[in-house]
Amino acid sequence: MTGALSFAAPWLLVALAVLPALWWLLRVTPPTPRTQSFPPARLLRDLPAVEETPARTPWWLLLLRLLAAALIILGLARPVWNAAQGDAVEQPLLIVVDDGWASAADWPDRMAAAGAALDAAARATRRVAILPTSPTVTGEPPRPTGWMPAEEARARLAALRPHPWAPDRPAALEALRNWRDGGRNGGSPSLYVSDGLAHGGDDGAALMAALADAGPLQVARGAPGTARVLLPPRAEADRLVLGLRRAPGGPAGEAAVLAMTPDGRTLGRATLPLAAGATEAEGSLELPVEIRNSVTQLALEGTSEGAPPGAAGVVLLDERFRRRPVGLLAAQEESADTPLTGSLYYLDRALSPFAEVRRGTLDVLLSRRLAVLVLADRPLAEGAETEAVTRFVEGGGLLLRFAGPRLAEKGDALLPVPLRAGERALGSALSWERPQTLAPFAEGSPFAGLTPPAEVTVSTQVLAEPVPRLAERSWARLSDGTPLVTFENRGQGRIVLFHVTANADWSNLPLSGLYIDMLRRIVALSSGVAGSEGEAPLAPVETLDGFGRLGAPPPVAGPIGAARLDSTTPGPRHPPGWYGTSGEGGERRALNLSARLPAPAPAAAPPSGARETRIGGVPAERDLGPWLLAAALVLLAADLLLSLQSRGLGLRARAALLALAILVPGLAQAQGAPEGSAALATRLAYVVTGDTATDEVSRQGLAGLSEYVNRRTAANLAEPVALRPGVDDLSLYPLLLWVVLPDAAAPDARAVDALNAFMRNGGIILFDTRNEGSGEGVSLGADAALRRLTSRLQVPPLAPLPDDHVLKRAFYLLPELPGRYAGGPVWIARDTDRANDSVSPVIIGGHDWASAWAVDARGSNPYAVIPGGARQRTLAYRFGVNLVIYALTGNYKGDQVHVPAILERLGN
Amino acid sequence: MAEGGPLSLRAEAAAARLPPLVVAAERVAATVMQGVHGRRRSGQGDSFWQFRPYLPGDDAARVDWRQSAKSDRLYLRETEWESAQTVALWRDAGPGMDWSGHPSRATKRARADLLLLALSSLLLRGGERVRLLGGGRGLSGRGALPALAMRLEGQSGPPADTALPRHARGVLFGDFLTPLPEIRAALAPLASAGLRATLVVLTDPAEETLPYGGRVRFEPLDGTDAALVPRVEGIRGLYEERLAAHRAGLSALAGSLGFRMLSHRTDHPPEAALMALWQALAPQGAR
Repeated sequence: MTGALSFAAPWLLVALAVLPALWWLLRVTPPTPRTQSFPPARLLRDLPAVEETPARTPWWLLLLRLLAAALIILGLARPVWNAAQGDAVEQPLLIVVDDGWASAADWPDRMAAAGAALDAAARATRRVAILPTSPTVTGEPPRPTGWMPAEEARARLAALRPHPWAPDRPAALEALRNWRDGGRNGGSPSLYVSDGLAHGGDDGAALMAALADAGPLQVARGAPGTARVLLPPRAEADRLVLGLRRAPGGPAGEAAVLAMTPDGRTLGRATLPLAAGATEAEGSLELPVEIRNSVTQLALEGTSEGAPPGAAGVVLLDERFRRRPVGLLAAQEESADTPLTGSLYYLDRALSPFAEVRRGTLDVLLSRRLAVLVLADRPLAEGAETEAVTRFVEGGGLLLRFAGPRLAEKGDALLPVPLRAGERALGSALSWERPQTLAPFAEGSPFAGLTPPAEVTVSTQVLAEPVPRLAERSWARLSDGTPLVTFENRGQGRIVLFHVTANADWSNLPLSGLYIDMLRRIVALSSGVAGSEGEAPLAPVETLDGFGRLGAPPPVAGPIGAARLDSTTPGPRHPPGWYGTSGEGGERRALNLSARLPAPAPAAAPPSGARETRIGGVPAERDLGPWLLAAALVLLAADLLLSLQSRGLGLRARAALLALAILVPGLAQAQGAPEGSAALATRLAYVVTGDTATDEVSRQGLAGLSEYVNRRTAANLAEPVALRPGVDDLSLYPLLLWVVLPDAAAPDARAVDALNAFMRNGGIILFDTRNEGSGEGVSLGADAALRRLTSRLQVPPLAPLPDDHVLKRAFYLLPELPGRYAGGPVWIARDTDRANDSVSPVIIGGHDWASAWAVDARGSNPYAVIPGGARQRTLAYRFGVNLVIYALTGNYKGDQVHVPAILERLGN
Repeated sequence: MAEGGPLSLRAEAAAARLPPLVVAAERVAATVMQGVHGRRRSGQGDSFWQFRPYLPGDDAARVDWRQSAKSDRLYLRETEWESAQTVALWRDAGPGMDWSGHPSRATKRARADLLLLALSSLLLRGGERVRLLGGGRGLSGRGALPALAMRLEGQSGPPADTALPRHARGVLFGDFLTPLPEIRAALAPLASAGLRATLVVLTDPAEETLPYGGRVRFEPLDGTDAALVPRVEGIRGLYEERLAAHRAGLSALAGSLGFRMLSHRTDHPPEAALMALWQALAPQGAR
């Protein structure tokens, strides 16, 4: 099927037989003479033929015309390169598409495979129905569309998206049966674009059998092992242990996992080697403990650039959103807070900046959930006290104990290591030994990476009994090897003992910064406390779509009881994502798709008689007809030029110019503004994308914005212009609009130089990916294209637009920056960049602002805003005004922020 | 100009167009006047020529007493000699004249009109009488020029005049591209009527150089058959030969009729042609 040429209207090729007749006709007909009025024409009559003139058309002109005629015939016969082979029957075609989570990774290929079948059906004027197999976003079971022309079906197909839950093939089969029974929807050929996996114990055999019964079946599958599942990680001391699953049969390679923060920054990257055919892979992500909690999301990096991870390739981590309350308890509560000597004085000051510190009696502390319980030289009484603390530890709590005179006298059961009675004094008047310094922390200790300062010394400590594996239980040691910090896992929890006091009595460790770091790491090791428990409902805050992108939850997504979160299988009612309360500081719990997915198992083989094809790698269809017709037009234009020349017209130059104007309209358009006039007026500019429709929208948008700005502000903008970076001079324009199309090519070296110079000298580029909406606002691959475009540009570090940024208050005070779409993030350079006076050289968003600004020739707005309303349009224009003012005045308007303070100073 | 409109309207439209033509003609004529003057002989006329001493036999009434009072002698005042002669003018108004080889050049007819009126202006200043061939009585006086222009607008016939005065002078403008026998047939009656004429042959440069190429169908404007030339470049030399032969024949014809012949190309300034014409019209032996 590769490289095949076929004709959509082959009967037209019969017309090629006319070519010889045409050749004969053309050969005998001399070119028409030109008529010229001439008074002394009488003198020219009856002239003897002094030169043999070509009475016949020259052979090359003949050839040219025949070629043009042949091209027209071939073009009208609509040749198609790589045409998808449709069944040679007139029956309608049923396309069944798996649109569950497993389809996300190679979704464009799936759409291409289904689209090729649609194209073939459209050529054969067959009707088409589409049956997705997953429950819809609204939670309804899958349902086939009615038979419809292929052109209409194309829109339905384009509206399909992979869902972040598993397909429900039995429901699809049920719907198919009902549909077939319900009237004229009898047997038909079908195409099944399968994800190749079994879901929920159903391997798709029943569905395929039902399809094969009704007619010829073609099953299109992706490469085995394409769908990958990233398992929730296991937390270890200084790393996350990652797991990956995939269906058997995948190729060897490696998978990359990115650790990302809520604002989209990547903090770490781990690679998981995958052997050929392996179904599981493991790896670890090394992350220092203190920043591990800022990671909220692990995502699989796509196999190819821009490929989405899919909902199963994203794991949300809610550790960051958990609280870690720390309970402090001393032996003597009354003197515990005495400055500089109290037993809890240093602990309280070290912990309260980053943890919630609670005080009270043991009963009070344990009556609420605690992450860490700190006992500073407080022995536990036998009986109820010990039992309560033991329950706390075995239930997952972290018990942190500090030694002291009391503990040295009498240990108890809740110690990581048995202690010798009495403390060991180093460097006292009666000892030969000197105070000990700390040994470097061993690898594997949670303190690894910290450097013990040389001035930290320990003069007194409690000693552990030498028991087996004492070394393994030590997180920190003195330089003579005696343990300083020991731990023991008990139940789901952990006991940690500092062999010194919590104050500066036994050592000067609490006086050093190391003390804070050590406490911080220990607290970070504790399992956080999920705030709400029980049946308290958690509302969906943000949910993942099928591609693994976070977004607003769908309308039917409902709350989950907190206790049932871990047992909920994601579905339309409960899509994977964040549940809890929105807003800063709100508690969130993650519902991960992969946590409830079984190991991917391959689907059943297609039934006998079904044709199996592979999606992807199928070259796209190419309709050659328009190109042939265009070539014929060019030939005819050349013919016109030649015949004009053969008649010896003085118009020769003019005709050549005319032909040029026809052939190179873009050139003529680009030369619209005379040289130098650009400097006479301020104007906005956009980068030519090469797509005429997009460029027209950009032009209309900037024209509309210019008009609005002229009406509302003192700025006076002339007509916008189109620019090609590297060709045109960018230095005359303050603002450049660059619409990023998914197929945009990276700029060449000259363009990169020009754009970098433009940004360095204060120019602003507004990148618009136009992908923040739904429907038309979905532009797959625009983000990858943006990465491609900007890979060599000197783009500073980016951050989401803060609320108090100048861009939101340069002219109007704006709560948000909507365009045609609304709600997505807008990125600018981080404020720390002092180059160009903190003015961001790039502004990146996907709101399709140009369409919102666009004004057509009649003065109306041709593109509706989504979700809509005059308010959104107004806000879009206001953003445009702010943008222009920002581009023209920089952060000058930022001083307005200080006006209240300045007024206050002046007034008082 | 609306051909079918009432006569008064057409006349008015024509008149509206005349003044610029008249002014242009006056301007051309003034340029020529700078270098050429009147008869420079005393005679019957209005303008002062010289004072001369009284001679016995002169009429006492002719004594200029004012001049004579300035001295002891008597003086007569003499005026310049004027002999009004009728000059008959004609220009070809055929369809071939309304043609120009290039949009930037005047048509041959426009140039002929201009030359004719400029010459008339000169003649009228000199006190001569001017009439159009077949165009009624002769005109004289400076104010006659617009009337002549009006009359010229309506003149379109062949050169023929039954009421031609004897020994009149004549100037005929035209391209004279018709076959020589036809020209002879038209001019012979004029010559036999005693007209001493000058032929001004107007030529467009394109008619001399034939600046075309390729396959061209040449259409004469008088409705006769067109000539199809397969390749113009090849016959250019031949055409020039034919044109030269026609010119030579025309020149011989003029000589045989006692006419003079002048050539003028429309891309040359009209002043040159007017000067040549003026010199040709000056009476022989006048200076």
